[in-house]
Amino acid sequence: MVDISLIIGGPQGGGIESAGQIAVKSMVLLGYEVLGSREYHSNIMGAHSYYHLRVQEHRPRSLKLPVDGVLALDAESVFTHFRDVRPGGILVYDPGTRSTRVDAIQPMAAPLKKRLKSLFESKGMQPIVESAVKLAEEAGARIVGLPLKEMLKTLSERTGAPVARVSRALNTLGLASMLYMLGVPVEYVEKAIALQFAGKEKVVAMNIEAVRIAVDYVREAFGEPVERLPPGPRRGQTMIVATGNDVVAMGKIVGGLGVITYYPITPSSDEALYIEKHSYISIDGPLAEKLGYDKIAVAIVQMEDELASINAVLGAAAAGARASTTTSGPGFSLMNEAISLAVEAEIPVVVTLWMRAGPSTGMPTRTGQQDLLHSIFSGHGDAPKIVVASGDHVEAFYDAIKAFNWAEEFQTPVIHLLDKYLASSMVSLAREDLDPSKVSITRGKLLENPPGDYRRYEVEEDGISPRARLGSATMVITGLEHDEYGYATEDPVMREIMMFKRERKFKVIEERIPDEEKAVLHGDADASIALVSFGSTKQPVLEALEMLRAEGVRARFAQIRLLYPFPGRLVEEMVEGAEKVIIVEQNILGQLAMLLRAHTSIKPDSSIVKINGRPLYSFEVASAVKRILETGEERVVVSHGS
Amino acid sequence: MARSWLEYKTQAWVQWCPGCGDFGILNSIYRAVSELGIDPENLAVVGGIGCSGRTTYYVKGSNFHALHGRAIPVATGVKLANPSLNVIVAGGDGDLMGIGGGHFVALGRRNLNITVLLFDNAVYGLTKGQAAPTLPAWIKTKALSMPNIHDNINPVLLAFAAGYTFIARGYAYHTQQLKELIKTAVRHRGAALVDILQPCPTYNNVMTNKWYEERIYYVDQEDGYDPVIRTPEEFQKKAPTIAAKLMEFGDRIPLGILYWNQTRESFEERLEKIMPGYMSAPPATRRIELDGKPFLHPFDVFKDRLIVP
Repeated sequence: MVDISLIIGGPQGGGIESAGQIAVKSMVLLGYEVLGSREYHSNIMGAHSYYHLRVQEHRPRSLKLPVDGVLALDAESVFTHFRDVRPGGILVYDPGTRSTRVDAIQPMAAPLKKRLKSLFESKGMQPIVESAVKLAEEAGARIVGLPLKEMLKTLSERTGAPVARVSRALNTLGLASMLYMLGVPVEYVEKAIALQFAGKEKVVAMNIEAVRIAVDYVREAFGEPVERLPPGPRRGQTMIVATGNDVVAMGKIVGGLGVITYYPITPSSDEALYIEKHSYISIDGPLAEKLGYDKIAVAIVQMEDELASINAVLGAAAAGARASTTTSGPGFSLMNEAISLAVEAEIPVVVTLWMRAGPSTGMPTRTGQQDLLHSIFSGHGDAPKIVVASGDHVEAFYDAIKAFNWAEEFQTPVIHLLDKYLASSMVSLAREDLDPSKVSITRGKLLENPPGDYRRYEVEEDGISPRARLGSATMVITGLEHDEYGYATEDPVMREIMMFKRERKFKVIEERIPDEEKAVLHGDADASIALVSFGSTKQPVLEALEMLRAEGVRARFAQIRLLYPFPGRLVEEMVEGAEKVIIVEQNILGQLAMLLRAHTSIKPDSSIVKINGRPLYSFEVASAVKRILETGEERVVVSHGS
Repeated sequence: MARSWLEYKTQAWVQWCPGCGDFGILNSIYRAVSELGIDPENLAVVGGIGCSGRTTYYVKGSNFHALHGRAIPVATGVKLANPSLNVIVAGGDGDLMGIGGGHFVALGRRNLNITVLLFDNAVYGLTKGQAAPTLPAWIKTKALSMPNIHDNINPVLLAFAAGYTFIARGYAYHTQQLKELIKTAVRHRGAALVDILQPCPTYNNVMTNKWYEERIYYVDQEDGYDPVIRTPEEFQKKAPTIAAKLMEFGDRIPLGILYWNQTRESFEERLEKIMPGYMSAPPATRRIELDGKPFLHPFDVFKDRLIVP
């Protein structure tokens, strides 16, 4: 079974992302499935950034540490990742940086410098790259030195371009060397390069020359790779590689998005940018004939702020378009007043909330699950809304479509909750993974021809009024308490009627959303250990289940998909009979545990928590579960990642 | 075709104070939209919070009563989704110049085809008379315990700087002229502002009807001022005169059309330029499913993400 993990580290702006993507594409072309994720500092350029990649025959569930290969394109990367190589794995670095001292690396975080210096000191070593390399070697890593400066000189000579220009292919020199050592056939790397830089012939040529120089050098210095990686099960198959940002964008467009607004904020902006790229789509003849138009034009507008973003989509949704905005924690805070309006005025709008590590600006480019309660309790004054969390890329695609369905069926805001890890992690997906025929498009009680005496807020038994688009009938959409027509009123009786109407709607939501979309039970249903989690921890937890099973520990896993209205009864059934209930979540308050206490009779025994802003790894979950079983600890904080 | 103004009157009780300038504005809106013959369904009045926001209940339309300061973004969304609607924003001075100031500026930048009616009485009426951004400095209205310490914003000059292509000023008690200004503003293709001066008989005891009547004059009747820009070159030539007129606010306050740029393309025209067909199948009304299913497949649409062997 193939299971390869890599880390490509270097300065931000040094082509780390492209190197990662070339690696991803090489592996997909070779027929494997991938999971790749980028970790980077919140800075413009220069600070350490790395791409973490895992390759398997099936879609990897989690990133893995330690890895089979670390490519360190600069001294800082050696210092950051020399302990991430497994015994027998390779550390690729530039011996030219051998004597670089920890203190000489300006962008490196001071606390890390301090930790490294005391580590080297405790071993009687100098705080230099060579010491780190030596420690990696002692731990069993194979060291591959690449004289990057000389290789660049060769590249410059062969292409006739100045060293300053060819230095942009430094990442390719390193990557090709590492992939060669790992047995990846070089033709796949070249194909991936052609894909990555499609349309830029000179760049392709320069990078392919870099591949050749790298391979020649490595072959001469270290010989042929021990084994050549055989083709994987998907070779010859067309795949999509997409980030979480991408698949949500795809889901929205496929799901009929008409208007999307945003104000730039990490990590949501990439979703908007991707939608912009596909905001104008031509449709072919027969389909166009059936639809009555041949161009899909999505209005995507970068607004002046988040307040404008959400209010504009409220207007667009009231006018009948499927409308959405995308944001992250700080931006969502600004949207709260309008969320409340959307509840009172019963406007179907989808807010995609990409959680990142707070509070406040916190760590803007790192992941976390800290906005769970924020999303559920957003909006003032008794303002229930639907909150749905996706566990992975495939779910995120379908949820993006379903969120619109629910918003329109129940005429209420839907918050689609995701996080930075999903946003920027990239996976390979087959055609059947993103199959729109698996979902419907339902618009609820949308009237094409409203009656003359139209009442926007007509009181119906299920709490859901027939909805007409602005422009198709006279009405008032309003955030003030109102009568059936929308006229503002403070009549005590009408107030109760309307409050009960909106409350009934939420009972109907609980009835109509199918159980499998509220929560999913994975693993051994009768196991005595029950894990409970939500969001992007799904796949790491699932892999942890497999790891535990291999060691004879059986566990079940209740993945909560719908966070509001909270499926309390269902979750109770899922953990029923378990002797130990363990919550897994990436926040410090135990927000999911709070919800369980509020909505169920479950008393969580322990929690596994990760708050350092890095993705959750499956091995962390597995070992934390074992630790809890041994010690009964109430909270295990896991902390891997650089 | 002109219609009776009564068709636009709703059953809601109009709850403004006696003598409020809002009555004159409401009346002018009724007359303007009826003379323009706009179907009530095709008229979207978007209000903010404050006395002015109540207009959404009094004018029969397909209306949206939005949050404080957010009428313009809501109107923007309505217009993007369905460009065929006539969208009028009814907001106060606090609403549009204070809490919603950023949106006011952004609308000019976009030049979306929306008419903004600024109910300008220099105070926050609904919350009992606090100083609004259009109240001149050192005026102490009766609700204030100290004179206003802030200088006032000039809405028409701000609109000019922001890119509005139609800027006019009316007076709430001169309903005949105001009606005409609103009509022209609604017909204009692009962002239009009508700054409507109005006494607040309850809270602004300084800027009264008498105060205004002593100062206001109509530019078209008095000095042959030409606010219209028909070519880009004309803008360069006339801009200084126009700016000077827009700055005039004190002993003399000009009313009428102050600036009318007929050369700049609207946001809708730009959308149609980059996305031909936008107007004919706008997001609000186009069909998004076939037999209840999505009709696009990601592998056929998002080709830039495909890894083709």
